[in-house]
Amino acid sequence: MKLQKNILLGFVWFCCAICFSSCKKYLELKPTDGIIRQNFWKTKEQVQAAVFGCYASLLGAPAGISDRPLSEYFFLWGELRADMLSPSFGITAPELDFMNVNILPTNNITNWRSVYRTINYCNTVIDYAPEVLSNDKTFTDEALAAYVAEATTLRALMYFYLVRTFRDVPLKLTSTSSDDQLEQLAKSTAAEVLDQIVTDLNDSEAALPLTYNDQAADKGRITRYTLNALQADVYLWMEKYPEAITACDKIINSGKFGLIPGSSTWFNTVFANGNSYESIFEFQFDRQKLNSFYTLFRTNPHFTASNIVYEDVFAADGQNDLKDLRFDGAAARANDGLIWKYIGIDNATLRAQGESFAHWFVYRYPDILLMKAEALAKTGKGQDALDIVYRIRSRASALPDTDRPGITANDTEGILDFILEERSREFAYEGKRWFDLLRHAKRDNYKRLDLLLTMVSKTVPPDRQQSAIAKFKDKNSHYLPIYQYEIQTDKNLEQNPFYK
Amino acid sequence: MKRLLLCSTLFVLVFFLGNRGAHAQAQSKTIVQGRVTDQDKKPVRGVTVAEIDKEQRIIRAVTTDVDGNFAIRIDNNNDSLTFSHIGIETVIQPIGNRAVFNITMRTREAVLAGVVVVSQRKTDNGLLPVNERDLTTSVAKISAKELEEMQAASIDQALQGRLPGVDITANSGDPGAGMQIRIRGTSSINSTNDPLIVVDGMPYETQIPSDFNFGTADELGYASLLNIAPTDIRDITILKDAAATAVWGSRAANGVVVINTKRGVVSKPVISYTFKGSITKQPEAIPMLTGDQYSTLIPEEYMNRNGTPLNTQTIKEFQYDPNDPYWYYNYSNNTDWVDAITQVGFTHDHNISMTGGGEKARYYASLGYLKQKGTTIGTDLDRISTRINLDYIVSNRIKFRTDLSFSYTNNHRSYADNLREVAYKKMPNMSIYEYDEFGNQTPNYFSPASNIQGQFSGIDDKNKIIGTVNPVAMAKEGLSNIITERVTPHFNLQYDIIKKTLVTVFDVQFDINNTKNKSFLPQIATGRPTTETYVNRAYDGDVDVFNVQTKTSLIYTPHLKNEKHDLMSSLIFFTYDNKSVSQEARTSNTASSLLQDPSVPSRTQNADLALVANSYQTRSLGATWSTQYGYLDRYIINVGLRGDGHSRFGPAHRYALFPSVSTRYRISGEPFMDQFKKWLDDLSLRVSYGQSGNAPRRDYTFYSIYGNFDWSYLGQAGVYPSNLELKNLKWETIVGQNLGLNVIMFKNRINLDIDLYKNRTKNLFFYGLQISSFTGFNGVDMNVGTMDNQGWEIGLNTTPYKKGDWRVDFNFNIAHNENIIREISEFYPTEKGNISANGQYKTFMQVNNPFGSFYGFRYLGVYSDKDATLARGASGKPIIGPNGQQVYMRFNYPNVDYIFQPGDAMYEDINHDGNINYMDVVYLGNGNPEFTGGFGASVTFKENLKLTAFFNYRYDYDVVNGTKMATTNMYGYDNQSTAVLRRWRKEGDVTDIPRALFQSGYNWLGSDRYVEDASFLRFRSMTVRYTLPKKMVDGLKMKNLSGYITVENLFTWTKYTGQDPEVSTRGADPFRVAVDNSMTPPIKMLTLGLTASF
Repeated sequence: MKLQKNILLGFVWFCCAICFSSCKKYLELKPTDGIIRQNFWKTKEQVQAAVFGCYASLLGAPAGISDRPLSEYFFLWGELRADMLSPSFGITAPELDFMNVNILPTNNITNWRSVYRTINYCNTVIDYAPEVLSNDKTFTDEALAAYVAEATTLRALMYFYLVRTFRDVPLKLTSTSSDDQLEQLAKSTAAEVLDQIVTDLNDSEAALPLTYNDQAADKGRITRYTLNALQADVYLWMEKYPEAITACDKIINSGKFGLIPGSSTWFNTVFANGNSYESIFEFQFDRQKLNSFYTLFRTNPHFTASNIVYEDVFAADGQNDLKDLRFDGAAARANDGLIWKYIGIDNATLRAQGESFAHWFVYRYPDILLMKAEALAKTGKGQDALDIVYRIRSRASALPDTDRPGITANDTEGILDFILEERSREFAYEGKRWFDLLRHAKRDNYKRLDLLLTMVSKTVPPDRQQSAIAKFKDKNSHYLPIYQYEIQTDKNLEQNPFYK
Repeated sequence: MKRLLLCSTLFVLVFFLGNRGAHAQAQSKTIVQGRVTDQDKKPVRGVTVAEIDKEQRIIRAVTTDVDGNFAIRIDNNNDSLTFSHIGIETVIQPIGNRAVFNITMRTREAVLAGVVVVSQRKTDNGLLPVNERDLTTSVAKISAKELEEMQAASIDQALQGRLPGVDITANSGDPGAGMQIRIRGTSSINSTNDPLIVVDGMPYETQIPSDFNFGTADELGYASLLNIAPTDIRDITILKDAAATAVWGSRAANGVVVINTKRGVVSKPVISYTFKGSITKQPEAIPMLTGDQYSTLIPEEYMNRNGTPLNTQTIKEFQYDPNDPYWYYNYSNNTDWVDAITQVGFTHDHNISMTGGGEKARYYASLGYLKQKGTTIGTDLDRISTRINLDYIVSNRIKFRTDLSFSYTNNHRSYADNLREVAYKKMPNMSIYEYDEFGNQTPNYFSPASNIQGQFSGIDDKNKIIGTVNPVAMAKEGLSNIITERVTPHFNLQYDIIKKTLVTVFDVQFDINNTKNKSFLPQIATGRPTTETYVNRAYDGDVDVFNVQTKTSLIYTPHLKNEKHDLMSSLIFFTYDNKSVSQEARTSNTASSLLQDPSVPSRTQNADLALVANSYQTRSLGATWSTQYGYLDRYIINVGLRGDGHSRFGPAHRYALFPSVSTRYRISGEPFMDQFKKWLDDLSLRVSYGQSGNAPRRDYTFYSIYGNFDWSYLGQAGVYPSNLELKNLKWETIVGQNLGLNVIMFKNRINLDIDLYKNRTKNLFFYGLQISSFTGFNGVDMNVGTMDNQGWEIGLNTTPYKKGDWRVDFNFNIAHNENIIREISEFYPTEKGNISANGQYKTFMQVNNPFGSFYGFRYLGVYSDKDATLARGASGKPIIGPNGQQVYMRFNYPNVDYIFQPGDAMYEDINHDGNINYMDVVYLGNGNPEFTGGFGASVTFKENLKLTAFFNYRYDYDVVNGTKMATTNMYGYDNQSTAVLRRWRKEGDVTDIPRALFQSGYNWLGSDRYVEDASFLRFRSMTVRYTLPKKMVDGLKMKNLSGYITVENLFTWTKYTGQDPEVSTRGADPFRVAVDNSMTPPIKMLTLGLTASF
């Protein structure tokens, strides 16, 4: 009996020993249906897939995260506070608060999360793509540099949106991939962010290809021309006019872009189909990834074109048959004010919801021309600037009522105002209006603050007008508050003083 | 690994069995014979006569003939002969040198007549049965007898409110909806708080893969205990303190529910049939506006916004123009949408079981069928459940058990979870069925693609409708069906290595759980144009779970010579392996509403449609050592140590050790207590301390996984890092302390348990903790801090009256619990709620303060006229501006700077500065009840007639009446309750309901207007049961016959004005505010039951 017991105990302990030595392997499980980081970053195809991941994130949030797509934020940030929209019956409370200059840190449109998500994807490529060089011998330094430059430029574009919308923002230039990299970052000033953008763009310029030998890829991926367009925009914002002109000239002199002549198919070519000759960079929505504009403008419209668009912007009073090509059936539908640019398949026909994949237009050739005109006007070349404006106007058969015939080449402010007006027609609902207004208002030390004050006095309902004007007199109010969650989760973030 | 364990155990057994054989002694073959008679000297036929060895193994057996004679050849003269027959007492006699055995056997009734049964209640923690009086930990026990009258589809429903410190709340009243079980509050901020369910000694899986789309808001709700039929249950024990649960390891951190099913006993076959049938009715709901009243409200509401009238020329829903018959007839109704989707529900439940067995083999087999029809049209549940429990006693050293259960459920649900809510809000002037342009009603549902109230814009991730639909079309045409098949074979082998001293038990349980989920959304349910992907959307999902668990135990119970000492020790190894594979296909725009399967040609390419396959595997290992030592029956100590390893942790934090100690001091056993012995049966003090660990909810989180975007860009796939690599995630450890007192007096007539506890959760898990977005991620799973969960509970069971034919029982329980954060990560937000937005309350998380308090404005009514909106200082005099102008009350100056208008809600200006803002926010209440519990009484007459009543209650807690908020805010196009007929309409009106204001204004800010004390006392159930007297039953040739009637949710006493004061605060968010969104009171139910055994 005793012996038996000993044998038994010995056996049990033997079993235990075996169990525990095999535990380690038993508990080591890896996902069978996804790639883990340790197994990624091995081939050049993977680098490409990661870069395309950055682009894909422009179209929407990845699975499991419900958020507006970036293009919708860019639209709301660029148009809501300006004067070309009017609330319609589908409007939501946060949107209405924006339009009434009643913006609080709790307003979810001030959430910058999706911009930083794309920034992190870009940072991940920038940080990890170099590893691939040692794993994949067919991957060249040039190819690596081009991918990194694409990611860097895309990151610069994201920061440019942020700096124009929020002014001072945290500048995160490294990727976050594990929980021990979490930190509490403070804001960088707008100047620091802009400097970083300029540096990134200058560093990336040489590495970027001029073409990917495919029309859609040239418009949907970042080329050296996209970078130049962004450079011009950044320099204009920084009031560095000669540099802006240089950047614009690189595009203009390339001969690869031009204006598509105004005709009945112009809308169809440029907007409904997209990727046209005059396009520089567009977010490539397609049939499997629709944009969100159909619900915003069509099914239960949140917005329609404001009266200002009818009366001032296009002066479409219809006394004769003249039509600005860019208004009815392009920017909006005149009879009911629907925002047409993203929901029309041609001048008269609506898209079906399943066909709602109009691209988001970041830069088009007319933008380059008008940016150059703006810089020219500021550097004393008024006549050259006016020539550009009239080139744009004649292409679109702009109405005489919107002309400023009395302007002379020396009237810099007049020319600049004229350019601003022309931009509102040319880029109606392309998410540029507010940024244009703000750029003009803030230049030369807020010399033209009146632009914003006049604008807001027309858009805000009478009972809120005084308070809105008072708010806009404070320059801090031109930038959005930091979303409440960010303030709560990052103790080093300081709220924009206007919203404290 | 598993195989290894299996092999090793089998090896052990074979080895020792073989050993036994070798020890068998030399054989001498003789034949013995004899006769068996009963006490009346009549021969007994069919008696089994068997030769058994020392270990009770049967060597050979014969049966007696008609005359009671037998003859049997004997292998070994040292063995014994047994004489057994069902219904007759077994006789055992040693063989020795006897050759003739004339045996007289007595029938069992004759035996039982003179025997006084002395038994001790044993409580099983699922591992070791311990005498209840020697328990060192806090447990609550309930036998199924007490529950059998309840019309519950699953046992969790039946347990509601019965046990102190166990809080069970329903997720919804629909068939198939699950319950939420919380033992002693929540120990975790947002990780799973469900207790571990142990069935017949093995853990029972109640979770399904979290990312599988079940078409339900709360997947935990689905993974309920539906698969166990309540009639199969013998008893349920709930282990509450950490020392009790520690032995079960990582999944037991939130308590353990131990369920034992019925097993066979030695008897003739007994067949029982149980029937339960009930009808359920939705009680009267809050009255909503009729179509006419609604059509008056909306234009007024719109006009009030900024003075622009609603253009009824273009918005034809309010045009009411008989010359336009299509719009006139379709939008001039008084539809009661809620009534239109409501039906009378019923349930019938049949269960037939057979039990019996002999000395060596026993069986219990049952078959049940349940059919339930819900009170919402389109919801029902069918369940077939079977169970076979077999026990075979090979010898008195070897026993084995085989339990096999199978269940099939078929559940039809509403396509979306908030259908009833949609029906409440639906515009009542709209018609259910469409009228044509001549004004004739057609049989088609009126489902316009969109109208002024909005449109169907999808189903959100909580399975709720975004926007609105025709609720009747949705209820009748939307299909959502979940079919589950579950087979759970469980094998158990027990071998006494040293007889009654060292026992080894080996358990293996397989669990095959296959679920199929199908849904279809036809075009008519939403009315959306056929180009959209929500039209004819077909979904088919399968999840197959295969789970293998083993348990190998060594139990050592030495029989110490010195009777003062008592020792029991065990060493148990657990393995767990769970693998789930799921596939889902979602397509849209099938050619017809009759083509409801995603396999038919349909649209697949959009990003919201999907073809997904997932596979997950989880493994864990555990070892528990536990020893219980008692001295003099007075001092009892239990020490345990549990080691855990879990595959969900990264290599750095994979293993952990959790100790536990618990003691019991029986004061009543001390000599100086002898004087009280007459009436004091037991007085004991229990102290325990224990740790247990919690593993995270998700697999593979310590890898950064690169996922694909659902769409391509320029035709190329995009890859992105989908999560953060969690290098720092550690075990969440719960440290429990418990101080308990047991008092038993007057021969068990009074039984009192008091417990005081404190559970401290260290390294609290938080899933998806929102992190600063410059990281690029939304959230991270993290250990965020330390939380205490403390309270007390008292349970009292008494028999105050027992005399003659009468017996009265009374029981009562009461508990108090609170959650306090002790330490929290810097990443964790400290406040929530935006006080300047309508409908929100402010909550703060303050370290060292209990959760649950919320803050808001104080509501003073409505500004009746312009004069009333003048800003007044502390003295009551109007405030004058710097230029001498009059100043009016403002809201949130300077950020919002809204000037209050007559008819707006008036909030108290606490600091008298003429500005209502965050400085005017005050404490409004706390959502945690001071006490919760229940009590009940039963009266028995002659063991035949029994009346039981049960009440439950909660005392002193504040609830936000969310229903009131949603039905009186007059903020959108949703229908409102009739209370808004009192609204402010013109200057001078004095009322308590502000003016209607479309999508603007600040009329429903979080204020005390919606806060109410929801204390209640509910008459939960009442049952009358009649059992037929023995004589009558015998006359019917039956064993037992009884019938009963139960009424549930008879009445609720409360001051609360909402529909249901029993609000469950979902989840464990420290910022939670108890919000009652229920639109109807709890369902009233009448049940009829019948039990018969033959």
